[in-house]
Amino acid sequence: MPSFEVPDVDLSQYSMRELFAPPMAVLAVALLVIGAWVAVTGAPVNYGIEFTGGTELVVESDASQSEVTAAFEQDHDSIRSIGTGGNQYLITFQSEDQQSLNQQATDAGFEVVQSSSTDPTFGSSTQSLAVLGVGIAFLGMSGVVFLLFRTFVPSIAVVLSAFSDIVVPVALMNVLGIDLSLGTVAALLMLIGYSVDSDILLNNHVLRRSGGFWESVHRAMRTGVTMTVTSIVTMAVMTVVSYYFGIELLTDIGLVLVFGLTTDLMNTYMMNVTLLRWYKFEGVAR
Amino acid sequence: MSWLRENWRVAFLVVLLLASTVALFGPNVAGDEAAEASADRATNLQYGLELSGGTRLRAAVVGATAEGVDVTQDNEQAMERDVAEALSLESRDVQARIASNVVEVYSENSTDEVRGALDDLGYGYDTVRDGVTGETRETMRETIASKVGGAGFSGADVTTTETQTGERYIVVEVPGQNASQVRGLIAGRGEVELWAFYPENGNQTNATVLTREDLADISPPRVINERPSVPVVLTDQAAPRFAEDMRNYGFTTGNGISNCQYPEGGYCLLTVLDDEVVYDASMGSRLASSLEDGDDFTNDPRFFITANSMEEARELQVNLRAGALPAELDFQDSYFVSPSFAERYKPLSLVTGIAAAVAMALVVFLRYGDPRVAVPMVFTALSEVVILLGFAAVSGLALDLSHIAGFIAVIGTGVDDLVIIADEVMTKEIDSNRVFKSRFRKALWVIGAAAVTTIIAMSPLAVLSLGDLRGFAIVTILGVLIGVIITRPAYGDILRRLVTGQH
Repeated sequence: MPSFEVPDVDLSQYSMRELFAPPMAVLAVALLVIGAWVAVTGAPVNYGIEFTGGTELVVESDASQSEVTAAFEQDHDSIRSIGTGGNQYLITFQSEDQQSLNQQATDAGFEVVQSSSTDPTFGSSTQSLAVLGVGIAFLGMSGVVFLLFRTFVPSIAVVLSAFSDIVVPVALMNVLGIDLSLGTVAALLMLIGYSVDSDILLNNHVLRRSGGFWESVHRAMRTGVTMTVTSIVTMAVMTVVSYYFGIELLTDIGLVLVFGLTTDLMNTYMMNVTLLRWYKFEGVAR
Repeated sequence: MSWLRENWRVAFLVVLLLASTVALFGPNVAGDEAAEASADRATNLQYGLELSGGTRLRAAVVGATAEGVDVTQDNEQAMERDVAEALSLESRDVQARIASNVVEVYSENSTDEVRGALDDLGYGYDTVRDGVTGETRETMRETIASKVGGAGFSGADVTTTETQTGERYIVVEVPGQNASQVRGLIAGRGEVELWAFYPENGNQTNATVLTREDLADISPPRVINERPSVPVVLTDQAAPRFAEDMRNYGFTTGNGISNCQYPEGGYCLLTVLDDEVVYDASMGSRLASSLEDGDDFTNDPRFFITANSMEEARELQVNLRAGALPAELDFQDSYFVSPSFAERYKPLSLVTGIAAAVAMALVVFLRYGDPRVAVPMVFTALSEVVILLGFAAVSGLALDLSHIAGFIAVIGTGVDDLVIIADEVMTKEIDSNRVFKSRFRKALWVIGAAAVTTIIAMSPLAVLSLGDLRGFAIVTILGVLIGVIITRPAYGDILRRLVTGQH
C-alpha cells in the first residue's frame, strides 16, 4: 500500500533567527495589509451584506450573465453563475430594497429561487456582535492555555500563533477579495479552537515528556503535521465541492480554515518551536 | 463480565450507534404530529428553512417609549389624547400604561419629538427610548401568529428575540411561502374600518361608522349578491349606534340608496384597510329599510363588508379576525428560499460531506498504510457524525446548512484527535497493557486540552444571536463532547486490541 511519511526536517540545523523571522515577517505583512485596509476603506476587512446591509438574489434564467445584470436598474456588486445546470446566478446588491429587486427580476422573466436582504442598521449591530464574539473566544482560549501550562513563554507562544492564524487568513481574504460573512466569522472562531491543537501537542511533548528537546519536537511534528494536513485536505475538498454546488456557507468556512491551518503549520513548527527552544535552552537558565 | 469492564467504551459506542440508526431510520420516535408532517420520508431528520424552503423575516417594532411617567386611572385617557394631539397622531397611536408607568408612541416620531411633546404638556418622565414595551411586542407576536395562521400558512413560527446589544425583534418563519406573500400580510397594521362617505352642507365627508370593536362575529368570506364579502354580526352596543348614524347621514333616504359615485360624490359605504379605501359600495334598499326601522336591524344586526376579489375578502377577514397590530413593523432582514431550490441543497450538501469524508479517509490510509489503524480511525470519525445525526433526529433539531458545516467540522476535529491517539500508542512496540494505558492517558491529556479550547472558542457563537450560526456552534461543541467522552477513547480500546493482540 502506498504511504506518505511526514518528511524529516532537521530543524536544529537552522538558527533561531532563521526559523523565527519568516513567520514574523508573514505576520507583519498581514498586519500591514489590514492596516492599509483600515487606512483606505475605513474597515479592517471587506464586510459582506450581512454586516453592511444589502440584498443577495439567486435567480434562475436561461439568459446570459450580462442580460441578467441588465434587467436591474440598481448597480450590482457581484454576479456569478452557480450550481450544476449553469442557469442560476447569484447576484449581490448594496440596495436593501429586496421587494423592488424581486419585482424587477420577476418582470424580466427570471425566477427568484433564493433571496436574502439585511438592513444596514441591523447589519452594523451584527458586526459589533461578531467582533465581540471573536474577542471573547480569543480571550477565553488564552485563559485556558495559560491555565494549562502555567508558564509564560510556552503559553504566549500558543496565543501568538493563534493570533497569527487568524490575522493571516483575514489579510488573505482582503487581498483575494473575499467578503467577511457570518460563515467566515464562524470559521475564524473555529480556527481559534483548531489551530491550538497542534500547538498544545507540541508544548505537551516538549514540556511534559522525558527525552531530549529535538526528539520531542520531532515526535510532536510527526503527529501534528499529519493532523493538520488531514484537516487541510478535508477542508480543501469541502471548499471546492461546495463552491461548485454553490453552497456559499460551506465554501466560506472551508476556505478560511484552509488558509488558517496552512498558516498554522508554519507558525507551529517555525515560530513556536523557536520560542520553546529559547525557553528550554536560554530562558530557563537565566 | 471482565470483557465488558475492559471494553465498555467500545460496547457503549456500538449501543449508541445502534440507537442512532434506529432514531434515524426507525419508526418516528419523536411522535408528535408536527414532526410527523415535516419529517423527511427517508429519515426522521427534520429540516429548517434553508433546507426545506420558506421565508424568515425579522422586524423591529416601530415606536418610542417614555418611562417613569406618572400614569393614573384619572389622567390615562387625557394623556393619550394630549400626546396624540401634540404629535398629530390618532389616539390609538398612543398607549399609556398605568401598571408600568410608561407612555408608548406607535409612530416614527423620534425620541426627541416625544420628549418635546411631553415637556410642552408638562408630563414628567425619566427617559424616552426607541422601541416599545414587552407587552406590546407580545400582543404583536400573538396578532401576527393569528394572521399567519388565519391566512392558512401552516407550520409558521412567530417568536420575539433579543440580541446581546439590547435590540429586540420579532421573527416570523413561514415554511413554503415566499417573502412578499408573508410581508404583504403583516406589513401594515391591518386595521379594517367601514367609513360612511356622504354629502354634508354641500361637501363630501368621511365618518368612521364601524371598527373591529363593533363586531361580535366574523364569518369566512363568500360571494353574496355577486360580490365577494365578509359576513359580520355587530355587537348589541354597536348595532343601534350604526343604524342611527346611517339615518343621520341620510343613507336611508331615497337619495342615499343605490347612489354611490366614489370619489365624486353620493352616498357610499367604504371598506378601508390601513386608511386606504379598498372598495366602495352603495346602500342596498333592503338594508336601508331595516336600518330605517331601527329595531328590525338591532334584532338581527347582520352586515357584509364587501371587497373586489375573493383574495381581498380573505385578507380583510384575516385582518378582522386577528385584529390590527398596535404598531408597524420595520423589517430588518429577510430570507427566502424556494422549496425546490432548498430541496436541492440536501443531496448536494450530503455529497459535499461524503467527499470531505472520503478525502479524510484517503489521507489517513496514505499516512498509516496499515488498515488495522486506518479503518477503525475512519470508522470512529464517521460514527461521531452518525451519533450527532441520531441526536438531531431524537431532539427534533431542524437542520440547516450551518449544521451541515458543523458535521464536517466535527469530522475534521475528530480525526485530529484520533491521529494523536494512534501516534502516541504506536511510537514504540507495545508489550504490555500497562504501557498502553499510560500512553493512552498522555494522549487523552492533549485531546482534553484541545477540546476545552475548541469549546471555549465556539461558545460565543452558541450564545450570541449571530444569525443561524448558532447551529454550527452547537453541533461542533456537541461533536467535541461526544468525541472526547465516548468515541475517541473507544478508538483507543479498539487500537489496543489490534496492536497488542489481546482479546
